[in-house]
Amino acid sequence: MITLTIDGKKIQIEEGTNVLEAALRNGIDIPHLCYHSDLSVSGGCRLCQVEVEGYDQPVTSCGMACAEGLVIQTQSERLTAIRRNLIDIFLADHPLDCVTCDKAGSCLLQKYAYEYGVKETSYIPIYSKTLYQDDNPFFIRDHQYCILCGRCVRVCDEIVGVHAIDFANRGFESHIATPYDGPMIDSSCVFCGNCVEVCPTAALLPVSRLKRGREWDLERVDSICGYCGVGCKIEYAVKDNEIIYAQASVQESVNGSFLCTKGRYGWDFAVNPERLTQPMVRRDLAYSLGISTENWRLPKVSPLDIDKPDVDDYFIPVDWETAYEIVSSKLVDIVKESGPDAIVGLASARCTNEENYLFQKLMRAVIGTNNVDHCARL
Amino acid sequence: MQAFGSGAMTNSIDEIRDADCIFITGSNTAEAHPVISYEVVRAVKGGANLIIVDPRRTPLVDHATLYLQPHPGTDIYVFLAMMHIIIREGWLDEDLIQSETEGFEAYSEIVKDYPPERAALISGVPEDQIQLAARLYALGERAYGDSHYQDARGHSTILYAMGITQRSNGTDSVMTMANMSMLCGQVGKPSTGVNPLRGQANVQGACDVGCLVNVFPGYQRVTDEKARKKLVKTWKVESLPAEVGLTIVEATHAALEGKVRAMYIMGENPMMSDPNTNHVEQAFRNLDFLVVQDIFPSETAFLAHVLLPAASSLEKDGTFTNSERRVQLLQGVIAPPGEALPDWAITSAIARQVAIKMGKDSASKQWEFSGTAEIFDELAASTPIYGGMSFDRLEPQGLQWPCPDQEHPGTPILHVGKFARGKGKFNPVEARDPAEKTDEEYPLNLSTGRVLYHYHSGTMTRRSAPLHWREPHSYAEINPEDAAVVDLKDGDDVDIHSRRGVVHTKTRISNDVPPGTIFLAFHWRESPANRLTQDFALDPVAKIPEYKFSAVRLEKPSAKRNN
Repeated sequence: MITLTIDGKKIQIEEGTNVLEAALRNGIDIPHLCYHSDLSVSGGCRLCQVEVEGYDQPVTSCGMACAEGLVIQTQSERLTAIRRNLIDIFLADHPLDCVTCDKAGSCLLQKYAYEYGVKETSYIPIYSKTLYQDDNPFFIRDHQYCILCGRCVRVCDEIVGVHAIDFANRGFESHIATPYDGPMIDSSCVFCGNCVEVCPTAALLPVSRLKRGREWDLERVDSICGYCGVGCKIEYAVKDNEIIYAQASVQESVNGSFLCTKGRYGWDFAVNPERLTQPMVRRDLAYSLGISTENWRLPKVSPLDIDKPDVDDYFIPVDWETAYEIVSSKLVDIVKESGPDAIVGLASARCTNEENYLFQKLMRAVIGTNNVDHCARL
Repeated sequence: MQAFGSGAMTNSIDEIRDADCIFITGSNTAEAHPVISYEVVRAVKGGANLIIVDPRRTPLVDHATLYLQPHPGTDIYVFLAMMHIIIREGWLDEDLIQSETEGFEAYSEIVKDYPPERAALISGVPEDQIQLAARLYALGERAYGDSHYQDARGHSTILYAMGITQRSNGTDSVMTMANMSMLCGQVGKPSTGVNPLRGQANVQGACDVGCLVNVFPGYQRVTDEKARKKLVKTWKVESLPAEVGLTIVEATHAALEGKVRAMYIMGENPMMSDPNTNHVEQAFRNLDFLVVQDIFPSETAFLAHVLLPAASSLEKDGTFTNSERRVQLLQGVIAPPGEALPDWAITSAIARQVAIKMGKDSASKQWEFSGTAEIFDELAASTPIYGGMSFDRLEPQGLQWPCPDQEHPGTPILHVGKFARGKGKFNPVEARDPAEKTDEEYPLNLSTGRVLYHYHSGTMTRRSAPLHWREPHSYAEINPEDAAVVDLKDGDDVDIHSRRGVVHTKTRISNDVPPGTIFLAFHWRESPANRLTQDFALDPVAKIPEYKFSAVRLEKPSAKRNN
């Protein structure tokens, strides 16, 4: 551990940490656009410059390793002037669309422009990038808002390991590109959306989020992903009982700042019209119970061989009371006739602990069999 | 479980990034567990070695420092040869073996019979690669850069998944991984251990709370009288069944014979996920009563007598336990559609009515719950490894079992200083070949698994618009050599025949699968892979079907059959 001083506060930190990280971990916010805790240091945006005792010129804090006895000032008149000028330059190539922008409220450029009181650019604005790419249903790329911080490039290479995008061209021609500016699907992209997650501006946005409400109007609910066994924590942005988009939760979690494509984009199954919404009884059973007058037989053809089997062709809806009555009577009849081991329960790796616990307790303690298994092996 | 006394990831996910050497086998980590692959990528970019042993060239091989590609079904020879070399070269951890383990003598005798020459001959992996893998793993060598740890021996971790377990010798393979980690002292420390990556959101939890035929909650054996007596009290019942029940595949066979007459299936789709689908379908049709409780009318639902609409995981609260044994809280994000209810509410309503109809009126009162927190408290009281947990302790980051009492902070790393079962046990394992053999009629091996954009039987992901857009239809990965034999081009229609059935799909010609191996995911209802898989030879201990090896042949749909 080494000790340094930031804004008069003595800070103990492990060796190898950079000054920006040390400040952030101790609740001292230094403005930064290109820096991200999980990614390598780029130093491109220059916003995180600080005054270092004994140095004539300000230094980018992301690129400076903490050293014993270092004395750092994160605020000074000179730093404010530098940062204002940097933001001014960014705004010369970034349309001030905040009044209609979907990112407003969580845009870092907007946040710093506000904090440093930069209302508009003092330069002649040249919006150099006009490319708008909506070539996939996961996310859009709206290059006019891109500030070339490179976070997306680094996350794709350093974390996801697919390196689907990189900087192309130079100067005003610079932009983030797939090989030959081709569509995303022709690149090595795996549509995990971690680039969208780390993008500080509206250059990368989830398709599901577009024109679906202001950031401050969205409710946030944290839950655990329902797909694989990693157990990622996901923050869902919700409005009027609809999920608008999903991102990695900011809270401490297994997955940190990142998710995969299924977790981030695969939640819309929940509102698919094919969802079961009421208890149903198969038509032949309904007939034999006198619930239906139509004599019906289960088709011999496998449901797998029917292109789109329709649940209404096979079943009729009933209320919960009727469903519970049928299920419990049938199970009890079979236990009485053939013993509890004639019944098998299959629980689910997609249901909660509470549900699986109750399920096996029903099988064991009420029905009286250990015939309870689930898809652990499959 | 048999080796260490506990069946779960021994270590935590965020330790992977600090490992010096990562050994992955039978896991397509980047597609099946992408967020864990991020940890692996981080480690490798920092200088860790990454060894992958897999017949199929998975995407993470791009980052591997050493890739061993054994012929399908022969990886066990490679593992045994690695241990042979480790013992021969003296790279083993003698202190740990002496003080904390048993059974080394018998085990090392068997390993003597598996020199690298033999493994190379059978698996096709060159001897020098096996030698290198053995050294890198045993000593925890890095490719470059400084270790996160100060130990003389670097830290090596093993990650594996269904590629080694869905085999008729799956238990042997798992014990082999346990043997290897103990042999080298790569267990009980951060960034080491034996880590099965679990494929479903709460598969760990479903096992933990007793949805297995041989154990009550917390892995207390149903055959153990003491465990039964304890639970009889907790659950206020007269007795509990003492005989091990029927596993999924055994239950299917029993239903075909008429011994099993009814099934209650909650959130599962055996028509897509169980081996030998034609058998499964016959079995379900043979049942007197089938109840399916699910969020969608799955392929299985169409054979049910009653369908009960359930809330999805986005629509309820409760807990999931992840692959690293971390119990975490879910919160309802949106409301369930229509009259759908959380599974716990449905199951407890059924339990109440069954209890009353069986004349156990008093028992029915135990099934009234105000919510999931109350159920969890009962669960924790019945499940010793969850004993110290309650909802208010699970914020913000959950707790990792074992967590036996309310003061216990949870257990990120198992077997620190001492194995859970007392002494770590070396289980002698001999190599065995897959149960089904290829022949002239069925010359190729079919392996099933997952693709990145879909999940399990496809019930959810195939109804997700973006995921469907990216991967809309089924395909089989076929090596160009095998494709050429039957004159197939990329994207052609193809029939895959096995001794059980035939599946129609499209080809994706790829060098990622070796010649002789076909890969088909099991997500596709239009190409149900499990019509091809076999259900006659399960792993004798774990009862896992051999999804990774079925003998098949390819045919052009138009071509006339020659036999």
